[in-house]
Amino acid sequence: MTLRHALASLLLLCSTPGLAAGRIPYGGELRLAHTGSAEPLGDPTLADSPVEAALFSFLSRPVCRLEASGAPRLAVAREMSRPVNQSVRLTMPSLSLANTLTRAWMRITGPEAPTPYRALLFPVQGEARQLSANGSTVELPLAFPWPDLERSLCHPALALPLTTVAPSLGPFSATAAKGLFESRLGYLEGRPYLDRILLTSTDERGLARMWTAKQVQLELGVLPEAGVLTGPALYATYLSFSQRRVPSDFRQAFESAIDREDLTRLFVRAPAVPMPYLLPPALLGPAPKPRSAAPPATGARAVTLLYDATNEDQRAVAERIQVKLHDRGYKVALEPLPRSLLRTRWAKGDYDLMLQSLLLPPVPGPALAVVLDAAGRKDLLGVELPFIGAVADPAARDARARERAMALGPTVQILPLYAQGLGVRAVPELGGLVLDAQGLPVLDGVYFMPTEPAPAGMSR
Amino acid sequence: MMVRRALATLLLSTLAAAAEPPTPAPRPASSPPIAPASSATPRPTSGTPASPAPMAAPRPTSSPSTAPASIAPAAPVSTAPAGPPSVEKLVQLVAEDVRALKPEPPVALHLSGSSAELQRAVGTLLASRLAASELGPLVLDAPSPEAAENLARERGARSLVRLTISVQEGELSARGDLLGTWVNFWSGRTPSRPVAPAAALVRAVEADAGALALAALSPLTASSSSSMAMMSGPRQVRLMGAALVRLEQVPAALATGDLDGDGKDEVAVLTERAVSVFAADGRLLARRELESLPLSSAPPREPFGVIAVIPQPARLAAWSARYAHGEVLVLDPAKGALRPIGPLDTAPLGANERGTFTSGQTTYTPEVRLSEGRILTVPAPFTAASIVPPRLLFVHLDGSASLYARPTTPPVRIQGLGAGSALGDLDGDGTPELITTSPQLFPAPDVVRVYPLAGDDPTTHGMLWQSVLPPGRALQVVTADLDHDNHREVLVGLWHSDGTGEVFLMRQGAP
Repeated sequence: MTLRHALASLLLLCSTPGLAAGRIPYGGELRLAHTGSAEPLGDPTLADSPVEAALFSFLSRPVCRLEASGAPRLAVAREMSRPVNQSVRLTMPSLSLANTLTRAWMRITGPEAPTPYRALLFPVQGEARQLSANGSTVELPLAFPWPDLERSLCHPALALPLTTVAPSLGPFSATAAKGLFESRLGYLEGRPYLDRILLTSTDERGLARMWTAKQVQLELGVLPEAGVLTGPALYATYLSFSQRRVPSDFRQAFESAIDREDLTRLFVRAPAVPMPYLLPPALLGPAPKPRSAAPPATGARAVTLLYDATNEDQRAVAERIQVKLHDRGYKVALEPLPRSLLRTRWAKGDYDLMLQSLLLPPVPGPALAVVLDAAGRKDLLGVELPFIGAVADPAARDARARERAMALGPTVQILPLYAQGLGVRAVPELGGLVLDAQGLPVLDGVYFMPTEPAPAGMSR
Repeated sequence: MMVRRALATLLLSTLAAAAEPPTPAPRPASSPPIAPASSATPRPTSGTPASPAPMAAPRPTSSPSTAPASIAPAAPVSTAPAGPPSVEKLVQLVAEDVRALKPEPPVALHLSGSSAELQRAVGTLLASRLAASELGPLVLDAPSPEAAENLARERGARSLVRLTISVQEGELSARGDLLGTWVNFWSGRTPSRPVAPAAALVRAVEADAGALALAALSPLTASSSSSMAMMSGPRQVRLMGAALVRLEQVPAALATGDLDGDGKDEVAVLTERAVSVFAADGRLLARRELESLPLSSAPPREPFGVIAVIPQPARLAAWSARYAHGEVLVLDPAKGALRPIGPLDTAPLGANERGTFTSGQTTYTPEVRLSEGRILTVPAPFTAASIVPPRLLFVHLDGSASLYARPTTPPVRIQGLGAGSALGDLDGDGTPELITTSPQLFPAPDVVRVYPLAGDDPTTHGMLWQSVLPPGRALQVVTADLDHDNHREVLVGLWHSDGTGEVFLMRQGAP
């Protein structure tokens, strides 16, 4: 390079304004604050609150993700197809990833790590307990017609788990520096536009303070207000009860004592909506539910309510339930548990009452499957899902799933309480921010918008 | 002159032969097979081999649309008039409007516009449609719409349709009016108008390549017609456009070149997962899926890649950055296929220049290998390159560009260019122009601008042309000689918001 070349290059690089040439620009560090846990969770079935699922999606993804339109878009898988009607074929980028996927799914469908999200794989033959990869291909033969399997597989709980061998499979990778994620060059959907994300864990007051001080450019978990992007309320909280351990009139007592509007207005973080039926209003549509009359008073009855120790909303709701059921003659003991232990107790049926929060898929059929399993009625899946899956038309199938949700609500041992969404706030300089159908932000498409002066010759 | 006479003689003999009834006698076994009339008939041209041929191929099922412009009631026409689909559609809409107004026959037609060929074609097709409705159309040749009114009365017409035909912003439009020419006896010499019919006519359809070919400015017309003479000579650029190809995916790269050896350029389109080659009229000639290639270890988020026509022999080098390597392909016109002949591991920026993708991004690294093997270090990574030896243009991701008059000189610095930038000689003066799109990220609308090259920053000399593009992000621009007229056409790759794409063709014309 000659001196003239070097000088010309230096002049060019120093004087270029923030134009874009029509292309989305790369680079920049995004400062992000959130209300999730400070350390990223490694198990996607436990990282299932909207904030934690969003944080987990930076490091790993399911085989696909649902775009805002509801259409699946490949994320980790290279191809997803139906060679025949009764089988879904996944082609993974490598043999090792195919093996990682099958191991992860067999783990959640087996006794090792029980989770209600296993219901998403229930339509696969053998309940997906006997999966094996053929090279980089994973075949998922269906036990009955289930057109929604592809969309079910996009659920965040079915993401590839993080391991020490594969610490990152998503668009970003964690670094040695705490809270610093760097964009990952080899991500299958393409390297994110941002260079890195700097994460800060805080509470709501911290979010407000950092936003006012302009210390962050994106916040997850903010309260809904003007300028806040709100995802669909699909994070649904239920009260499961054991028919064997609580009196037969418990449902009536609960319904007469608890006002769901009160819960969402006073006890849980917004954005939240009351959920009177098995599926959230985002999937079922709004419908008020008349309150039941109180059952006749009987003697004092002692029950224990288990809840997620890491979920502040559940703690507040548990205390409220404790107070309100006391009026109905129940002496409720509260027992906070880690989420993993809570799931183990759920799988064993070892509880009187239990609060469960689930990130439901944005499709009524698979969502109902998860709720029925959470209600301890896995036996119903083999009856209800073939009935729903037999409908070929997607709209009619969704309608049938809603009908079944309405019909099954009073018969299963689970009481719907409320559903929450994710509030996201971003500075105007941030472009490309979208929420997927699950209501989670897709940060790999986010970029810092360039300043755009007039094109060449326009100002002359 | 001799050539013209010879062509006229040949044309007359061909028409005479076509007018003869078919002879039922069997041909001798040794005689060559007779080609179908549609394929044997030469494409209609404006009279010289140098003029651009219409883009629409003749349709084998339809007869030549030369409906007589007489006032005698015409016999019902059994076949629809033939022309480019957009012209046919426009004519059909206008004819329906005219019929609905129930004008008294005979109906005179006067068409104006900047393209004589286009207005003649519309006149012919419209007259045919109106003749089929027994409206006795006659086409007037009047210098202006006002003069046409008197001429229509002189020719005995009772109604007059006056239309201006134009192609603008991708639309073919007809605007004008319908009026009665009957003069009341009591008006004396004053040419009063009747109450009816009287209506405004406005119709527009999406233009296609065929309409664009009719509206294109041919060199012969430009030099001989007074209305076009003002546009002739160097530094005259007038572009008008129409959709050439609709794509199911957005284009990742465009290239043009003569792949089948017919002297005319074909258009090659690279999408994220396939390569397609189209003829000048938008027909798909061949397509090859790239799915069998190994995936890149660092793909970009947006479709990005490079495609180039490598001469001697003509091959296509295509590489979508989604994959680990590209392919060198040969077009097999007979089979309508692209045949791979080898892998491609460098990005062909020109016939002999090679670049390297930046991992995971929609740019190339700043090092460019030139034809003689020398490495040219560009000031920054670039997202688009256009090479018309000895000139080289590199557009950087910040909207700046480096323009080299030759590889050994320092670059001229330019600001405010879009990724859709190219060098190409649009006016036929032997010096390429700079064609560029908007530097904004999501311009609405995007525009295409043309600047002359004069050794320094081209944008300091004012634009030769600017026009609005259809909605979408214009991220690729290439030029081509689609009709072998030595005037290069402009092809723009458009990204639509619904994930589909388009190749928008712009050619010299007078909108």
